[in-house]
Amino acid sequence: MSPRYTTLMASLPPLGGLFEAREPAISRLKLQSRLSLLHPHDRQRLNGAIRILSQGLLGDASQAGESSGQPGRGDALLLEEAERFFREVDHPLLRQLVRHRLDLRTIVAALRRRHRGEAEAPRGQAWGSGPLVATIERHWSEPSLGLAGLFPWIGEAVLLLETNDLIGLERLLFSLIWRELDRLAQGHNFDFEAVVIYLARWSLVERWSNYDATAAAQRFRQLVSAGLGRFTDTLAVCPAR
Amino acid sequence: MNDHLSLTVLGWIGIYAPVALGAIGAAIGCTIAGQAAIGAMMEVSSGYGRFVGLSALPSSMSIYGIVVMFILNRSVTPINAGGLFGIGVLSGLTFLVSAIYQGLCCASAIAGSKSKPEIFGLALAPAAIVEGFAVFAFVFALVAAGGIPES
Repeated sequence: MSPRYTTLMASLPPLGGLFEAREPAISRLKLQSRLSLLHPHDRQRLNGAIRILSQGLLGDASQAGESSGQPGRGDALLLEEAERFFREVDHPLLRQLVRHRLDLRTIVAALRRRHRGEAEAPRGQAWGSGPLVATIERHWSEPSLGLAGLFPWIGEAVLLLETNDLIGLERLLFSLIWRELDRLAQGHNFDFEAVVIYLARWSLVERWSNYDATAAAQRFRQLVSAGLGRFTDTLAVCPAR
Repeated sequence: MNDHLSLTVLGWIGIYAPVALGAIGAAIGCTIAGQAAIGAMMEVSSGYGRFVGLSALPSSMSIYGIVVMFILNRSVTPINAGGLFGIGVLSGLTFLVSAIYQGLCCASAIAGSKSKPEIFGLALAPAAIVEGFAVFAFVFALVAAGGIPES
């Protein structure tokens, strides 16, 4: 453990528990300003990981593809990004962190596709990443995708999906990532790894604390669009005087 | 002749090692703790003094090194060179490593107590325990040095 970032880490406030904070202990602007203490090489490595880690677990990437009229394109872009990351970055903890996140995403993607009624694993399109894909494709019809031994939480995730409790599912996934970060944080206090883990945690807290606000804003936009749509239709059929 | 010279060199290394190694360790330890103090000062708006004071704690290792050097300082002969080398280098290494790890303990104490000032006293405990081990090495270096012949 090299205490390379003692000043940076000591300047960051504790984040507290994952579901406790109503907002992150440090704002995005202030955090970005503190990260200027990073060495340019570390900053570059970190940016590659952040591009992947900042993606949502419940299908932001596929939504991005759908909004551009190409369903699945978002997943493909994410996988391309991940491939580039693994080619360029050799830092063990960063790779482990990204690998764990991609594994979670792959499992959740499979569960959601199956829940949507897909009887077989998708063929000919990029939908997941890593060594789990082959196992999942072989055990598509099994409740836990043949991964219950490695990932005992899959049963709970299936149950949450079946009851359409997406917030509960997100909560479960966030808890899993938080626990993984706890494990990886052992022995890292003031080094680059500590910075990476802090940022990963901050990202989770920020995402969770914005969760309701984002959903509310989206719902508000939908209602406004629907209301304006009706209003426009009314004007369209109104006879000119 | 060569053996005599080698032993003399080892003896002199032993005499100066505690202060040299202790000073190197103190410099590293104070740097680590000092960087944490600067980081903490970016986050809080008062209580800077105690952070700076805490970051100077590892400097005690260089003081132990100086005292051991004075105790060991004597004419070096083939008879006492081995003892001077053993006690000097080993106590110096202890001060070096203790200072670095004490610096890390102080940095953690600073980082932890900046947002929870009430734990400041308790957060000092790990650094104090590390200091305790260095004091063991210091005291027993003095005791052992009493058995080294003067010439």
